[in-house]
Amino acid sequence: MNSFLFRLRRVSESASPSSSLLRSSRVAPSNEWVCFSTDSEGSSGLRIFDRDLKRKQRDRAAWLMRPHDSLTDTVADNLLDRLEDCKKTFPTALCLGGSLTPIRGLLRGRGAVEKLIMMDTSYDTIKLCKDSEPKMGDENMEISFVVADEEFLPIKESSLDLVISCLGLHWTNDLPGAMIQCKLALKPDGLFLAAILGGETLKELRIACTIAQMERDGGVSPRVSPLAQVRDAGNLLTRAGFSLPGVDVDEYTVRYKSALELIEHLRAMGETNALLQRSTTLKKETALATAAIYESMFAAEDGTIPATFQVIYMTGWKEHPSQQKAKIRGSATISFKDIQQQFGGGN
Amino acid sequence: MVRRSVALLRGAAASGLSQTLSEILVCPLSKQPLRVCNKTGSLVSDEIGVSFPIKDGIPCLVPKDGKILEDDDNNVALRSGSPDDPSSTNMV
Repeated sequence: MNSFLFRLRRVSESASPSSSLLRSSRVAPSNEWVCFSTDSEGSSGLRIFDRDLKRKQRDRAAWLMRPHDSLTDTVADNLLDRLEDCKKTFPTALCLGGSLTPIRGLLRGRGAVEKLIMMDTSYDTIKLCKDSEPKMGDENMEISFVVADEEFLPIKESSLDLVISCLGLHWTNDLPGAMIQCKLALKPDGLFLAAILGGETLKELRIACTIAQMERDGGVSPRVSPLAQVRDAGNLLTRAGFSLPGVDVDEYTVRYKSALELIEHLRAMGETNALLQRSTTLKKETALATAAIYESMFAAEDGTIPATFQVIYMTGWKEHPSQQKAKIRGSATISFKDIQQQFGGGN
Repeated sequence: MVRRSVALLRGAAASGLSQTLSEILVCPLSKQPLRVCNKTGSLVSDEIGVSFPIKDGIPCLVPKDGKILEDDDNNVALRSGSPDDPSSTNMV
C-alpha cells in the first residue's frame, strides 16, 4: 500500500482566457506542421520548441552552471522530499534532463535508490555529471549515464521504480507522449515525480519584453515560451494514465540586481528562448529598453528586481492492485445519515 | 534476431557499458533491444538498421545522433565485430 501524503499548497486556478489547449494558444503555428522525420506515429507532429537549439543551450549551460544555484537546489530538494513521504523504496531510478546536478547532490540516500540513471539531451551536461561523480563519494549507489531525448525514451518497459524530472519537461514538444513513455518504463506501483515551470513564470519579463518590443520594433515576437497551467498538469497525469495523481504549486521569487543578471541566470540554467518561431535578432536598443522597463515597472525599493518562477510539482503512480481505489457504486452498506448520527455531527 | 541481440548485450562490458544500462536500454525509436558492436564502439538497432555511438562510455541515444546503416555489406561487417556471435564470424 502506498502512503503518499499529498501536500496541497496554494493550488491556484488562475483563470486566463486561453485555457483548454496546452501550449497551443499563444503560438500560432503557421508553417511548422512539418513532421519530424524520426517522429513516431503516435505524436501529433506539432513542433513548438527547437529541440536542437535547446540541446546546444544546455551544452552551453553545462559550462556556465553555478555550483550551487539556490532556485534549482530548492526545487530539487522539494521534489526529493516527497520520496521521504513514501514507505516504498525505489531501487532503480531514472533522472530525466533538467537540473541533474542538484538532484544528484541532494539525493543523499532518499528513497533508497541503488541504481541511478542520469539522462539528458546534452552530452556536455552528462559529461559534467560524470566527471564530478568521483567527488560525490557515495559508493553505495551505482550511477549510469545516457544521452537521450525525453521524447524518445530508450528504456525497456517495466524496468524502473522511479522516474524523476526536475525542471526539464516543459521544453518537450510532446509532453503527453513523453509522460506516456515514462509510464511505460515504470514497473507497476512505480512513481513518476516531475517539476515543471508553470504559466506564471517570468510574467514580469513577459510584460517588459512585450512593451519594449511594441515601443521600439512596432510589433511583438514570442520571447518567453508558453508554459503549462496548473489545471493542465492534472489533465496530463490522467491522460498519461497515472493513478493517484497529485499536483501542487509553489511560487518562488528570485531577486536580481538588474534585468541583465536575470538573463545571465536563465542562460546558466539553459532556460533561454528555444521557440521555433522566435525572432533570431534582438536589437541592443530593444534589449536595453526591456531592462529599463523591467526596472521601472517592477523594481523593489532597494533597487532589486523580482522574477517569479512558478513550479508545478506532479506526482503519479503506475497502477497496481495494492493501490487504494473507489468502491463500486452502490456497494455501500451503511447510510451516511447513520454515520452522521453515530458521530453526532451536523450541529 | 531479437534473442541474439539480448544475448549480445550481456557481454557488453568491453564497450564500457555498465551492466544496468545494458539490461535497461532499448532503441529509442522502435523500443526493441540493442546490440553492442565492439568493433565500432556503438549500439546497433537491428530492427531499423541504425547505429548509435558510445562516446567515452556514455551511449548517445538521441535519434539525431544515430547513423543509418545503409547497405548489407556494411551490416555484415558490423555484425562480425561482435565476438559472441558465432554465426556472423563465420560469414567473414
